[in-house]
Amino acid sequence: MSEFESRGRGGRSGDKDKKDDKGGRRTFFRRRRMCKFCVEKIDYIGYKDVKLLAPFIPERGKIQPRRISGVCATHQRALQTAIKRARQIALVPYTTD
Amino acid sequence: MSTVRQYELIYILPPETTEEAVAELQTQVEAITQRFSATIEKTENWGRRKLAYEIGGNREGVYVLHVINGPAEMTAELDRRLRVFDLVIRHMVVRVDEELAVAERSRVRRKSAMTARRVRRGLPPEPTEQERSRRQEDDDDLDGPEMGFRERGDR
Repeated sequence: MSEFESRGRGGRSGDKDKKDDKGGRRTFFRRRRMCKFCVEKIDYIGYKDVKLLAPFIPERGKIQPRRISGVCATHQRALQTAIKRARQIALVPYTTD
Repeated sequence: MSTVRQYELIYILPPETTEEAVAELQTQVEAITQRFSATIEKTENWGRRKLAYEIGGNREGVYVLHVINGPAEMTAELDRRLRVFDLVIRHMVVRVDEELAVAERSRVRRKSAMTARRVRRGLPPEPTEQERSRRQEDDDDLDGPEMGFRERGDR
C-alpha cells in the first residue's frame, strides 16, 4: 500500500531519480530519420526507377508510411504517385503474400 | 493548334513476341503520332523483364517505352488504339513535362542558392575539386562518433 502511494506521488510531483530513470528508458536513442530524397538531393522520383522505389515498399507490397521512413511530405507525395504508376505497369507489386 | 506536351508511353508485350512484331507495333505507334504531327523523342526497348504480378497468364513481358512530344488529343487516340491491340497486354501514357520542369526548377534553385551562399562567404561560386574531396573525408569522420553514440544508447 505504502509503496503504491509513493509511486503515485512520484509520478505527479516529480520524484527526481525515478523520473530520470523512466525517461532514460523510454526515450530510446533513436536517430532522427532524414528524408532520403532531401539529403541525396533527388529532384525527380520517376516510376521507372525500381531501385529508387524498392526501399519504400516493404515485403507486403504496401507503401511505407512517412512516420517510419522519415520521408518529407513533399517527397512522400511524389513517391506515392511514382509507386502507383509503377504498379500499373507491373514494375512493382500491388500485393505479395 | 493545341499545345505540345511531353508524354511517356510505355507498353508491355508477351515475352514470346518476335522482334518483327515489336518493330511493327512501333511503326504503328509512329503512324498515330505522325497524324497528330507529334515527334517521338526517344524509344527504349527494355527487352524481357519479370513482371511484378501475373498479367493474363504472363509472368514476363517485353517493355517498350516511347517519349513523345505531342498534343493531348494524341494520348486519347493512343490509349484507344493500344487497348484494341491484342498483342499489348498492358500500356500506360503519362504526362511528364510538368514533373520534369518542377525537378529542373528545384535543381536550378538549389544551385543558385549555393552559388549565392558561396559568394557571400567570399568563395568562388563553384566548389573546387579540393573542397569536394575534403567534404568526403568530413563525412567519413562524422560516421565514427555517431556509431559509438548509437552503441551506448542501445546498451
